[in-house]
Amino acid sequence: MWVKIVLALLFCVMVAGAVHFAKPRPPDDTRPSTEPQHSLTLLTWNIGYAELEDDTRAHTKDLPAVAEVILKTDPDAVALQELAGKDQLRILLGLLKGRYRGEVAQQGQGDRFEAVLVKDTQATFTPVAVGTRYALGATFRPENNGPQVILLSAHADAFNAARRREFVEGLMDWAQARMRSTEVFIAGDFNFELKAANETNLYTDNVKHDSESYSYILRNFKDLGRDAGDTAINDRRIDYVFGPARVQRANHAEVLRDAAVGRMDHWPLVVRIGF
Amino acid sequence: MFTLLKLELEKLFRSKSFYLSFVILVGFVVLMLWGFYTYAARKAGGQAVEQFKYTYESKQYFNGLTFALYSVLFSFTLLLPIFVAMSAGAQIAGEARAGTLRMICTRPISRASLVMSKFLVTALHAGLLLTFFIALNLLVGLVFVGWGNLELYPGPLNLVDAPGKIMRDEALMRFAYAAASGTWALLVIAALALLCSVIFDSPVQAIVTTIAAYLTLYIVGRVEFFEHLRPYFFTTDMDFWRDVFKPDIPWQNVWHYACTCGAYTVGLLLATVFIFERKDILS
Repeated sequence: MWVKIVLALLFCVMVAGAVHFAKPRPPDDTRPSTEPQHSLTLLTWNIGYAELEDDTRAHTKDLPAVAEVILKTDPDAVALQELAGKDQLRILLGLLKGRYRGEVAQQGQGDRFEAVLVKDTQATFTPVAVGTRYALGATFRPENNGPQVILLSAHADAFNAARRREFVEGLMDWAQARMRSTEVFIAGDFNFELKAANETNLYTDNVKHDSESYSYILRNFKDLGRDAGDTAINDRRIDYVFGPARVQRANHAEVLRDAAVGRMDHWPLVVRIGF
Repeated sequence: MFTLLKLELEKLFRSKSFYLSFVILVGFVVLMLWGFYTYAARKAGGQAVEQFKYTYESKQYFNGLTFALYSVLFSFTLLLPIFVAMSAGAQIAGEARAGTLRMICTRPISRASLVMSKFLVTALHAGLLLTFFIALNLLVGLVFVGWGNLELYPGPLNLVDAPGKIMRDEALMRFAYAAASGTWALLVIAALALLCSVIFDSPVQAIVTTIAAYLTLYIVGRVEFFEHLRPYFFTTDMDFWRDVFKPDIPWQNVWHYACTCGAYTVGLLLATVFIFERKDILS
């Protein structure tokens, strides 16, 4: 009889322990104590549609909603992916009431474009050729007399992890050549699948390549949107904002999950940084 | 109870399958060592370097601690549960098949004590297996690969979500933690196999049922389609033992899943005792 009593008591203790330790604990606040000298707000958003649609590029009818999110969030710069062309950028800049300047990347082999919007009227834009794809860099100053910043808008291959890895290598070469003199930020849809538990899903052909790519970026950059969670449907975190390693962490990183309209499969990621 | 335990220990140390499990583990380590050498040569040079300019898989990444980690992680999922199921599944059903169970139960000992002594011996076997395996991997890693720090990357092992590093001495301590947490996780399999051993009269049936249940839940849990079912499988909870290899051990998580596994183990043991006490032994 005593064996059963001991086992029953142990069972109760284990269940109580499991319930007790399941309680979420508030995250430790490890923000740097020193006041940041400069602040920067960046937004990245793939405004294209999910794969099942006929045209998976951005739809012009959604641009007022995109403009509304940008105006409400008021970022210093915006990285957009999957625009259908320059016409859409022109419409979007009009909807933004002249508060932003922008440019789209050159057309690579695909039918969609990356774009960058910035508030700074003195901003310059640079196409970045990476293999058969193009990213776009914008050089600007978020504050008068503040440091110069480069924001790259990038979009890696959706279905081939080896191509993503080659794309990242090219992008890093470009960024590293400039990061000694300028604060470089890279934002966009990288399509990384980093959870080995998800290796049977339909979006990646090799978790290991994505791990290599992501680890390589993190040698010199910080993943500033890491705490914000999933950025696309199917519980995927595939949109990133990478910043200089000396930025300790984002002051605020948020995925705006009520912002998508139509059949968009991504949500905007907003990152506020002090550096 | 202590006499029972002593007798069960004697049976364990006299059984050939006990030593066979250690021999197979040695064979697995040899296989892993061969695979590790050829993989390291392939990934840290040749075609990989031609296709991709940058890689974390430099030669310093392939050290003895990385070897031990890979070996332990892969064997824990599919190899060690089989040995534990074999050991536990044969405990009661093996006695029934040999015709000795009836005789044991006619003696003035409680059936609950018999179940507990058999479970404790199985737990000892599981602990010895895992500790031996970890120690062997570390030794082989030290002698044949060489030691360094334990470098961790997101993705392949699903351990970290950002690159991290554990210094050598701390990493050795983590392997010691893994021996404890891994044994605790394996006790769920041991308890399930013991329950099957009481339900079925054939040890083969008990072992196969346990392994089938484990593998089914493990495989279903890996398939993306059943993602929402994962939290309800004991195989998911058993995975907690790996958390000790994270650069910052998430202790709250570890205790939560350790208690969950404990609840599974004790619950299954309780069911085993109840069923065994009411079982009509005809063998």
